[in-house]
Amino acid sequence: MKYSNPLIPEGINTSKQHPLKEFFILTAGVLGLIVTAVLLLGFFADKLAHHIPFEVEQKIASEALLQTSNPSPMQNYLESLTRQIAAVQQLPDKMPITVHYIDSETINAFATLGGHVYMFRGLLEKLPNENALTMVLAHEIAHIKHRHPIRSLGRGIVIGLALSMVSGSIGDMMSNQIISNTETITSLSYSREQERVSDKTALDTLMALYGNVLGAEQLFKVLQESEGTMELPEFLSTHPLSDQRINAIHKFARESFSTDAEQQAKPLPSDFSTWLRITE
Amino acid sequence: MIDLIILLMLLAIGYGFGSYAESRHYKSIITRENDLRHIPAITSRFPPQNNSSDATLVSGSVVISVDYFKRFIATLRNLVGGRVTAYESLLDRARREAILRMKNEAAQLNSDIIFNVKLETSSIHKGKGNRIGSVEVIAYGTALKTSK
Repeated sequence: MKYSNPLIPEGINTSKQHPLKEFFILTAGVLGLIVTAVLLLGFFADKLAHHIPFEVEQKIASEALLQTSNPSPMQNYLESLTRQIAAVQQLPDKMPITVHYIDSETINAFATLGGHVYMFRGLLEKLPNENALTMVLAHEIAHIKHRHPIRSLGRGIVIGLALSMVSGSIGDMMSNQIISNTETITSLSYSREQERVSDKTALDTLMALYGNVLGAEQLFKVLQESEGTMELPEFLSTHPLSDQRINAIHKFARESFSTDAEQQAKPLPSDFSTWLRITE
Repeated sequence: MIDLIILLMLLAIGYGFGSYAESRHYKSIITRENDLRHIPAITSRFPPQNNSSDATLVSGSVVISVDYFKRFIATLRNLVGGRVTAYESLLDRARREAILRMKNEAAQLNSDIIFNVKLETSSIHKGKGNRIGSVEVIAYGTALKTSK
């Protein structure tokens, strides 16, 4: 008997497909699937989060609550403004707003779970009149009225869960890197649409309280100045650009108010600048 | 963003070095296969009884590591299923290299043929999950001299 090992042609046990081609097909396919799933989940989470009772939201928030604010002239002033705005926006009784004055340089104000609104000294120092302050406060209260914090949280949780399940099944370090990046992009705090809605409600509130929307425009001028020269494209920032918001205000003013003449902004209380520093 | 850049760099390194090593390895495999073709490796358990002598155990083993790029493709492939073509060439190389090393040992013993050849494969990643992906292939058989 004769034994031999003949020459076997190459490529029987391996694939002839170029590895880079497979890489691109797979990456595009899997990323596409993940993005679609995340968008779908986010959409449903956003719709359903609306039905979570406000009391539940308050319970979630109380754990994360930063601190209770001590009574101070500024705190009292902000609270009285809040009461007026809440009345105009017709907030339900079960949706109490708690405003906090924070003695900090940060130029910011935000609303979070459980109806807590935080106002920072840095921003208040820059405001020219009460109308602008009301615009800020009304904007943040509008977020709460439209249940934006819980909707963002719901979206964030659902997307986070889904992505961690995917990354768990892959169970690999490098995939986790991709996925954590996708997560930060998709779970930004408030969407631009939510900001637009809140702007609109805040403008309605200004109109009802003062009969004009002077404060809004001044507020965005201030924000624009503090943003300085750094111009981010709209895609990268959650807030619509100040320019666009100012244009929206002009449009709103044209539609709701006939003449620009004789509009007077209500000045801030005379002691406002001293109140800024008094926190006890 | 920095994570993404690091990932892309690792992928590029994996692809560059991986495909260079693979093509070099294949060239070497094909030349050595031709050189050692005069020693057939046969899977039959029963050598001819009349004129064989000097039965010796010969073996050859090899460990090959997967590169970052291949592992990345295989990871994505795990999600959707299908042929893991990235690993096919890896295992093909490992099997052929193991047989070549076994034949090499037989050639040093001046054997003429190897009978009862068997291949075994194991993955080396104990305790490290998916971090380290290496494959070991061992080939072993009985080398014989057939009297002229």
